Amino acid sequence: MANYFNTLPLREQLAQLAKCRFMDSSEFADGVEALKGKKIVVIGCGAQGLNQGLNLRDSGLDVSYTLRAAAIAEKRQSWKNATENGFVVGTYQELIPTADVVLNLTPDKQHTPVVTEIMPLMKKDACLSYSHGFNIVEEGMKIREDLTVIMVAPKCPGSEVRAEYVRGFGVPTLIAVHEDNDPKGEGLALAKAYAVGTGGHKAGVLMSSFIAEVKSDLMGEQTILCGMLQTGSILCFDKMVEEGIDAGYASRLIQFGWETITEALKYGGVTNMLDRLSNPAKIKAFDLSEELKLIMRPLYNKHQDDIISGHFSQTMMEDWANDDKNLLGWRAETAETNFEKTPAGDVEISEQEFFDNGILMVAMVKAGVELAFETMTAAGIIAESAYYESLHETPLIANTIARKKLYEMNATISDTAEYGCYLYNHACLPLLGDFMKGIKTDVIGKGLSTEDNGVDNARLIEVNAALRSHPVEAIGGVLRGHMADMKKIV
Amino acid sequence: MDSIRLDNILFNKVTVNFDDRFTLSEINWSIEPNQHWVITGTNGSGKSALAAVLAGVGDIENGTISGLPKNVGLVSFEAQAELIAKELKKDDADIMDVISLGTPVHEMIFDDCQDPELAHVLVEKFGLSKLLDRAFRKLSTGETRKVMLIRALSSKPDLLILDEPFDGLDVDTLAMLQAHLASIVDTTPMVLVLNRFDEMPDFITHIALLDKKKGNQGRLELTVDKSDERAFNELYQLLHLKTTDLSVPEADPTNKLPALDPNQPLVKLNQATIQYGDTIIVDKLDWTIEQGQHWQLSGPNGCGKTGVLSLITGDHPQCYSNDIFVFGFQRGNGESIWQIKQFIGYVSTALQWEYRVSTSCKNVIISGFYDSIGMYSKSTDNQKKIADQWLALLGMTDRADQPFNKLSYGDQRLLLIARAMVKHPPLLILDEPCLGLDDMNRQLVLALIERICEGKETTVLYVNHHAEDQIKGIENHLGLKKNN
Repeated sequence: MANYFNTLPLREQLAQLAKCRFMDSSEFADGVEALKGKKIVVIGCGAQGLNQGLNLRDSGLDVSYTLRAAAIAEKRQSWKNATENGFVVGTYQELIPTADVVLNLTPDKQHTPVVTEIMPLMKKDACLSYSHGFNIVEEGMKIREDLTVIMVAPKCPGSEVRAEYVRGFGVPTLIAVHEDNDPKGEGLALAKAYAVGTGGHKAGVLMSSFIAEVKSDLMGEQTILCGMLQTGSILCFDKMVEEGIDAGYASRLIQFGWETITEALKYGGVTNMLDRLSNPAKIKAFDLSEELKLIMRPLYNKHQDDIISGHFSQTMMEDWANDDKNLLGWRAETAETNFEKTPAGDVEISEQEFFDNGILMVAMVKAGVELAFETMTAAGIIAESAYYESLHETPLIANTIARKKLYEMNATISDTAEYGCYLYNHACLPLLGDFMKGIKTDVIGKGLSTEDNGVDNARLIEVNAALRSHPVEAIGGVLRGHMADMKKIV
Repeated sequence: MDSIRLDNILFNKVTVNFDDRFTLSEINWSIEPNQHWVITGTNGSGKSALAAVLAGVGDIENGTISGLPKNVGLVSFEAQAELIAKELKKDDADIMDVISLGTPVHEMIFDDCQDPELAHVLVEKFGLSKLLDRAFRKLSTGETRKVMLIRALSSKPDLLILDEPFDGLDVDTLAMLQAHLASIVDTTPMVLVLNRFDEMPDFITHIALLDKKKGNQGRLELTVDKSDERAFNELYQLLHLKTTDLSVPEADPTNKLPALDPNQPLVKLNQATIQYGDTIIVDKLDWTIEQGQHWQLSGPNGCGKTGVLSLITGDHPQCYSNDIFVFGFQRGNGESIWQIKQFIGYVSTALQWEYRVSTSCKNVIISGFYDSIGMYSKSTDNQKKIADQWLALLGMTDRADQPFNKLSYGDQRLLLIARAMVKHPPLLILDEPCLGLDDMNRQLVLALIERICEGKETTVLYVNHHAEDQIKGIENHLGLKKNN
């Protein structure tokens, strides 16, 4: 199989990368009609599989689950998940031939074997749906010509997909149609109905392409989302300990600090995150992030270039074929970092203190978000996609670090994200070596010691203007506005 | 536990602030080691807050407290909700694709347990032996409560604080718990928060009455020594004020439901079964609810009451693998859950826990028109007007625009009851609606239910433990038994 993206002419590559549009709620007037009476079979019953299925069924659709014969015979957890929730469960041979729509909600790594196995079993003219396009775009899986191929990807964890639906709302969702596999032109109607069935249309739907989704998702997860937070955790912790700060305090400041500062990011973008700092601290964070951006920009460019060229996925798939040698080795190394081995101390840190004593962390998040966004848009990815795959998802990973630190975070994110995270971390740690030599506890651990909060007016105006005029803030304002409109508490 | 380790606890003009949501002001109070107290008062007067102060919660703004015990055993709805929220947070089903199973009950009880022997005895007495391996968050409301009680009782506390310990317990468990508390009176000082005066155990020696002040403020109105009969009787009178004439606000005439066939039952469960693995929760239940036929449902904790109700509301996933007919739909034939829910008004403790969105009190009532948790649509003027009438009825007009999640447990409960009733649903399901309500509000709610039963449009399905909370007009009774 050849990398699908690389088979396209440049013109088409650019057109696909630039696809991403916030859809109007009037486009969902037909509800779930396109899926009514159709037989939907879900492959995989993990958190996404189960919760999407529950929503679709509660929207009046016919949902059942197919698992490998062994999972059924051994009554594995996935089998229990499906049967205890009252779903019909059957083997591929039993259910796939009856399906009008097959939802492939297995992990990326299983896509090739799973799709290869089910494709011959699928009914003529049926539909195959993905929630991530890696298999199509990077592995170049060719799907039978009569089949319609779509993607519906809720941009939230499975548990939230369900919880929001039950409340009467939904989560933001990305949909796409694989144009090479839309023989009857019904892909969009099916994808829209699927988004309605999971409640996504109430929270906002983005119409994108397989290619834009894959190339932006990979870039986001390996740089700002996982990579930057991993590298930042290790560097900030070691620095604080080196400067004599209590290791338990340092561990807590980092473990819960990312979550606290990115919560501010989620609500009001980079601007709001920096607005949480005092004026002198804000200027300090701004200066640090400018320096970081200068140092790290070549690294972000390299990641994006390797993703676009397919070099990244190729090397990763080689590692898959080599029993995950690199991945597992790097995972073991993560367990041995000092941050990982030092439990969070039993000290109370107030919400504001995470900002005041974590100026460098704020600077790292700002630098990472902006660089990821700038690099993606420079590569032809449209701002909407770049926003979702950088700023929007950062709090999710921060939240995982708060609960599980780095090792478990890595073990639980997708394999593609984890592999990319390690690549980034290995390159970024030495890259920031000199920079870190100049760092003291005023920006990480203790906060600024200035008695006077005074700043130069002109400089503050400059910094505020630069923050607010960054393109990630412009698109963020629009998209968060859409969400807020939809969720407005009237 | 051999002897009392408590010193005199002394409150001297204490003002305590709770995250700026609520203030207890100028409290003067003394608790001696050989006393057992009940804290009571109206909803929103700060009963739970005062109990929590004994456990070290809140910012003391003024005055001094001395003698606070180190090891406090605390059981309350807030603590229970917090524990459940913590468990939910452990649900790591996020970016990764794993469904978390949660902490098992035995870990909740025996990790960090001071008196495992007692804990074992209590597990047996509370009938939790079979549930030890189940995930804590999969337990029913009553069962979680029991786990909380066992944790507190077996922690060898210097002071035991039980905030509404009897709410949500079935009759047998209630008697067992009261007997157990009576058996430890000589070694363990206790402070109980009780909304219901008639539940006061005999061993109580003192009563503290709180009163609500303007704004979000509570004050310790008086303390009564139970042996002072005259003072005690006066207090009793004060707490039994009768509710005045009341009427239920009208439904919204613009909110039209599809018509139901009057010749068909509202609900028909045929051999309904709920099963997890080999554990059967509900076993082959047949139940038909005709229109206008009001029902009371009762049974011990863990007998599957909530499960049966959620089969009807569509919240239980196994409703699709059962033979269920509701509101003209044979379930599992392409109807959506919202088509079912439009016919139902619903209140339960689980709903209150799920109602964790920041919205105003008025919107909580209006959300009953949309069957949603939180508001995601624009409300109409008519709906706002009706919500205002409900707020007036509940005496909460001044709090219309305040955030719901800052209210006391009892006030939240009142609003959720209004939410359930606001659209005059064909089926009103009240799952222990009076939990957390003080005597006055309980009378109010029972009177409201009576009025609704008198009307023709709504059929009432009422679940409760308290034999004395009988409602005129409810003549059918279904008792569920525990299934193991």
